[in-house]
Amino acid sequence: MINTTILSWVTYVYFTAFVLYFMRMVRGTDIWGRMASITAVVGLIAHSAGLIMRWSESYTMGIGHAPLTNFYESLIFFAWTIVLLSLIFEWRIKHKGLGVFVLPLAFLAMAFASLSPNINSRIQPLIPALQSNWLTSHVMTCFMGYAAFAIAFGLACMHFAKNFTRSVTDSQSTFLRFLPSHEGIDELIYHSVALGFVFLSLGIITGSVWAHYAWGSYWSWDPKETWSLITWLIYAAMLHSRLVRGWRGTRMAFMAIIGFAAVLFTYLGVNYLPGLHSYLQS
Amino acid sequence: MSDKRNTVWSFFSSVKLTVSLLIVIAFTSILGTVIPQQEAVDTFVDRLSPGMVSVLRKLQLFDIYHSAWFMMLLFLLAINLIVCSADRWPVSWKRFRGISAPDKEEVLEDLPPGQLIHSEGAFHEEASRVEGVLKKLYGRVRRKDTESEILFIGEKGNASYLGVYLIHLSILVILAGMIIGFLFGYDAHMEIPEGESTDTVMLKRGGEFKKLNFTIQCDRFSVEYYEDGTPKMYRSELSFIKNGSNLQESAVLVNHPATFEGIRFYQASYGTVSSGAALILVGKGHNQKRIIKVAEGTEFDLPGKDGKAKILRMEENFMRMGPAVKIQITSSTQNVQFWVFQNIEEIEEANPGLRKHIPIFNPGLIAPYVFSLVAFQPKHYTGLQVNYDPGVPIVISGSCFLVAGFIVVFFYAHRQVWIGITSEVGKTRISVSGKTNKDSAGLTREISRLIKEIEKTGARSE
Ligand code: HEM
Repeated sequence: MINTTILSWVTYVYFTAFVLYFMRMVRGTDIWGRMASITAVVGLIAHSAGLIMRWSESYTMGIGHAPLTNFYESLIFFAWTIVLLSLIFEWRIKHKGLGVFVLPLAFLAMAFASLSPNINSRIQPLIPALQSNWLTSHVMTCFMGYAAFAIAFGLACMHFAKNFTRSVTDSQSTFLRFLPSHEGIDELIYHSVALGFVFLSLGIITGSVWAHYAWGSYWSWDPKETWSLITWLIYAAMLHSRLVRGWRGTRMAFMAIIGFAAVLFTYLGVNYLPGLHSYLQS
Repeated sequence: MSDKRNTVWSFFSSVKLTVSLLIVIAFTSILGTVIPQQEAVDTFVDRLSPGMVSVLRKLQLFDIYHSAWFMMLLFLLAINLIVCSADRWPVSWKRFRGISAPDKEEVLEDLPPGQLIHSEGAFHEEASRVEGVLKKLYGRVRRKDTESEILFIGEKGNASYLGVYLIHLSILVILAGMIIGFLFGYDAHMEIPEGESTDTVMLKRGGEFKKLNFTIQCDRFSVEYYEDGTPKMYRSELSFIKNGSNLQESAVLVNHPATFEGIRFYQASYGTVSSGAALILVGKGHNQKRIIKVAEGTEFDLPGKDGKAKILRMEENFMRMGPAVKIQITSSTQNVQFWVFQNIEEIEEANPGLRKHIPIFNPGLIAPYVFSLVAFQPKHYTGLQVNYDPGVPIVISGSCFLVAGFIVVFFYAHRQVWIGITSEVGKTRISVSGKTNKDSAGLTREISRLIKEIEKTGARSE
């Protein structure tokens, strides 16, 4: 199918964009940054086109549904939201330091989806329990949240990378100059976590509505539900530590990493536990 | 307030407690996904020593999310939330109401030149002009006159101080809804054979029966299959009957529940009850043949009225040989029973001579009569999951509050702009600045917009 071909090529585009962002950081010239952004935007456009084609193809096949229903599609959508949010952040803060830390997540997700032999990339019909508009909004909001948390994770890595290079080189290295200040990073971590928290909450709410509708119970402590709650609690603790107790810097970066680990477990790990969401095992 | 009360209060008003509780709840929730819970326990228990099992049971680790200590944690969180909110409310309320009169002015000290406007206009005219601009842009404008200066403060987004309360209130509302559902709601199951009705459900918790104050009748049940034999769709057609009148008819499909008097009915399972309807061909010789529709217990006359037949049993899959009906024949001369199979040809092929050897499988036993089973339609029952949860509307409204709270907290910021007007020799100086609780970039945009607006209506900046 042409859409999967496009999508597997997008992986390489993102990799190229990552390399360009990286060149910007080590060479310290802005032309690399501009090229990196353009490459990422091109990748995102192709990515969107691939998603739209997949969507319309499913209608041609007579089983029309948004491309958000199996593991392959969720990985692709996850990568899409990561790149989208990363570019929006880059544009809002007028700083190109983020790409190096965030794009690897996007192309890893894409590469995993395209290359792993265990992942089924076919468009499949939906079993009755999944045929619902709430499913679409549930998956969309959840992955917007996950992507925002992925950005926070990238920023946390940036924080630690900065600490690390500062400890081994002098403070004037180009590498350091081409990253935002520690305060800036902290502020960005807060904003992306807040954004992710809102979307995760919406994801949990829409998921509950769907469960209420399909299974008769809005909350049944199924492992995936529980893990999304755990993730939500971790980020709630993180926001409160910052807002009320004034935690900043390394502590926040550390929590952003813990939180993202919980996100990944909610997304990937839980599939190895039994539960209603096991449809994600392609 | 006594000291003791003070300690308790400060314990519960601390956000350290909040963060700890959130983390502890997260950890215990993890436990619940690692240790099998409820139904899953049985297979797990076999692999543990009995002592271990009884310890785990005592600690309620097999039903963590309904255990007393998990409830305790949630309860502590709720108290924490209430006390903390009460503790901070006066300050937030004051901020929400805004400053009653401008006092300190250090906001306006040492401003960059871009935030200063020097105007040719007269002091008081400039002041009223600025006031006009501000009133247009801000809901709330306050003014303070001193001999040397007039000060204006405009603010908006005060509601952002209250958004947090909306968020926290929503958490309480959601918890309350969950508790109400837990206390007053129930999960139950019911099975209704096609064409029959019942008013009793079996509760999941405790396995007791509960009588509803109405009757549900299953008018029809049908299953559709995909080609490979997996079920594609189940559908129950239900009627809800109260005081003898049929008040509602609904079809229940997977993902498509029906609601009656706040109770929701979901398609959960189905099965066959042994009886059903069948079509039987009865003949005497070759000329008198007729098809009779029968059910279990049906009696009919044999052709020629020289005896009676009665359907004793009907099986959908008798001895794995497909549908079969057991018939009893009573006449003045004989009294025999035998089975009639639908797939008799195939059965004979697979077991030659079966009919001869086992008379009870031989419908030719009572010549000249012949019987064959033309069609068999088993009677199904539908298995419905029945849920009543009066907490749902409360949880829904809590969720709406939560979303509204997020919008207020994360998309609104309190912005206060300060404008000082002082007179200098032959000129009037207008200084513009502001304060915000979080959105400094937004404030900067806001100030430059305000300056443009003031300049547009008259004065010139340097
Ligand atoms: C025991 C429970 C809780 C307590 C005592 C508590 C307390 C607080 C306090 C004191 C603040 C700071 C308000 C301020 O001065 O700006 C705050 C902020 C916040 N709380 Fe909680 N909280 C609790 C639970 C939760 C939970 C479960 C959530 C999850 C949605 C939550 C979401 C928030 C958010 C999003 C903010 C940030 C508001 C802002 O950006 O200003 N809180 N909380």
